[in-house]
Amino acid sequence: MKSRILITLILVAVLLSSLLSACKPAEPETIKIGNLVALTGPSATWGQSENNALMLAVDKINAAGGIDGKKIEIIAYDSRADKLEAVNVVKRMVEQDKVVAIIGPGQSGVANAVREVNNSAKVPLIATTATNPKVTVADDGTVVPFTFRVCFIDPFQGTVAGQFALKDLGAKKAATLYDIGDEYSQFLSKYFVEAFEKGGGTITASEAFRSGELDFRAQLGKIKEGNPDVIFIPTMQKEAALAAKQARDLGITATLIGGDGWGSPDIFDLAGPAIEGAYFVNLAAMEDPTIQDFLKDYRAKYGADPVLPNPLMSYDAMLWLADAIKRAGSTDGTALRDALAATKDLQVLTGILTIDPSNHNPLNKPAVIQQCKDGKFTYVKTFVTTD
Amino acid sequence: MIFQTIITGLSIGSIYALMAVGYSLVFSVLNFSNFAHGAVITLGAYVAWAVMVNIFQLPFLPALLISMLGAGIIAFLVERIAYSSLRHRRAPSLYFMISAMGMAIALQNVLYATIGANLYALPPVFAQDSIQLGTAVISKMDLFAFGFSILAIALLTFILNFTRVGTAIRAASHDAEMVSVLGVNLDMLVAVLFLLAGALGGMAGVFMGVKYMVYPSMGWITNKAYIGAVIGGLGSLPGAIVGGILLGLVEALISVSTIGGVPLSTYRDVFSFGLLALLLIVRPTGLFGRHVEEKL
Repeated sequence: MKSRILITLILVAVLLSSLLSACKPAEPETIKIGNLVALTGPSATWGQSENNALMLAVDKINAAGGIDGKKIEIIAYDSRADKLEAVNVVKRMVEQDKVVAIIGPGQSGVANAVREVNNSAKVPLIATTATNPKVTVADDGTVVPFTFRVCFIDPFQGTVAGQFALKDLGAKKAATLYDIGDEYSQFLSKYFVEAFEKGGGTITASEAFRSGELDFRAQLGKIKEGNPDVIFIPTMQKEAALAAKQARDLGITATLIGGDGWGSPDIFDLAGPAIEGAYFVNLAAMEDPTIQDFLKDYRAKYGADPVLPNPLMSYDAMLWLADAIKRAGSTDGTALRDALAATKDLQVLTGILTIDPSNHNPLNKPAVIQQCKDGKFTYVKTFVTTD
Repeated sequence: MIFQTIITGLSIGSIYALMAVGYSLVFSVLNFSNFAHGAVITLGAYVAWAVMVNIFQLPFLPALLISMLGAGIIAFLVERIAYSSLRHRRAPSLYFMISAMGMAIALQNVLYATIGANLYALPPVFAQDSIQLGTAVISKMDLFAFGFSILAIALLTFILNFTRVGTAIRAASHDAEMVSVLGVNLDMLVAVLFLLAGALGGMAGVFMGVKYMVYPSMGWITNKAYIGAVIGGLGSLPGAIVGGILLGLVEALISVSTIGGVPLSTYRDVFSFGLLALLLIVRPTGLFGRHVEEKL
């Protein structure tokens, strides 16, 4: 009997002490933001840079006093770019850590995999380099309410290329050569044609081939008939190199333009001199003058160059989110969502950010134009599209 | 325009023809479709890459000969590993074909595992590649490949018609069993057969490497060559050549045609495979074929 009383007393004491400790003055309140990022695995090269850049942005915001006096706290979890792992860590972020928003992931597949979790919990998510259109717009065409992205969608590169050809290259006539078996290629071509025709240009031919084909001379022969000023070839570097060689063999002198699929240095080995002078659209370039201060800060803190483009996107996402929290005046998920969607003319690292509320994509996001010159990629300019 | 299209079609077709001959040669004697031929062609191109770019910097002609020899030996080894025991057990053709597909997948994956999925270019044979011909342009490499293909096929025809081995191969293509009963060493004969088919495949691989590029799945293109061989009639050498060239021409012409304003280039394969289906209905043996049974 005696021992039972003793145990009860001890239990009461423990209970009281734990209650008392809970009454201690609380830590200063922080704004918790989740970072879903591939810190290990095949995408780690980009993921590490992405996380580093995010911390750089957070340090800056916190050093300037945080958001309305509250410091930002980043809770980063490794997704390994794996869908299942990502779903688990996003659950942990929203259920245990109670983050107010999530930055990342960089992979479209991962963003789609976690969509259900962050949307049912009403926690806004800003994908960094997920370029597939379906990340923010569901199959039925409705916008995914709590998912945003800070990068442009793939097909937008077609719009950039179309307007660049018209405005900067002064092209009047253009042709496209694309892969009918590849969604990326097909949509880039479609957006290019729309942008080029809208700007008053003429499309002389839009020729397709099937994935795996090696010989495009028949299609190029037909393209040559229309004598276009530029040919848009939205493919990977393999097809681009073959098409460039074959086009030059056929005596086609038109300027060639591509998308970010070209950005693999072996294009110079594969295409030889045929690719010289060609332009392509990319997400980012080290020589971009607008990011030089960021690069300096990054090198100073981490002693290495960041791996583009992911760090630029996580940095911009943080600036965007901080602005939205300020405007919303709260960290409530729905209020934050509305503020994110209503973002307009916000100065971020890579330019001016405006969000299209109908699809949660950035409007007229700046893109980088690079040129294949003397066997390497050279930065030409940062191009901003117009409506 | 039409002239240029025909030139393009011929140059694509001549590569198809060179590959199709390899299929027909094996089919004529062993009565099965050697689907590992595509892998042999790919490996031939990799041999050329090794001796022209990666290890040595040999000029084109010696590299071509080494690649032909290399591909021939690989084809011979494929036969020894995958087919010879089936042959000795008189297995049905279907078993050969399945074995061939297995070899094709295995060889391709060996490439992925060892050399990787990188793309490689072989150095061009001619610095200035195109010749202006009226309004059309001809590639020197195409002419060169065309000439070499004809030379190789002529040499093959000579071997088949004017040498003892060739005579034996032709005899075996009529009745392999009878030939072996008559005292011809069938193993020896089949070895020569695969060496020849492999060498031609190696040549096609090198031409493809120079014209396009070298990568593990380049053997995919042999599907087209196989269709060419079937159109011409499997087992017939003239058939393989005509079928391959015909397919190249049809593809090029379809690529530039339109029906009611709709460009047909996206339907190219629909047409080439449709053509095949149609031909097989009208003439199951192909244009020059003679075997009707077991045309797999």
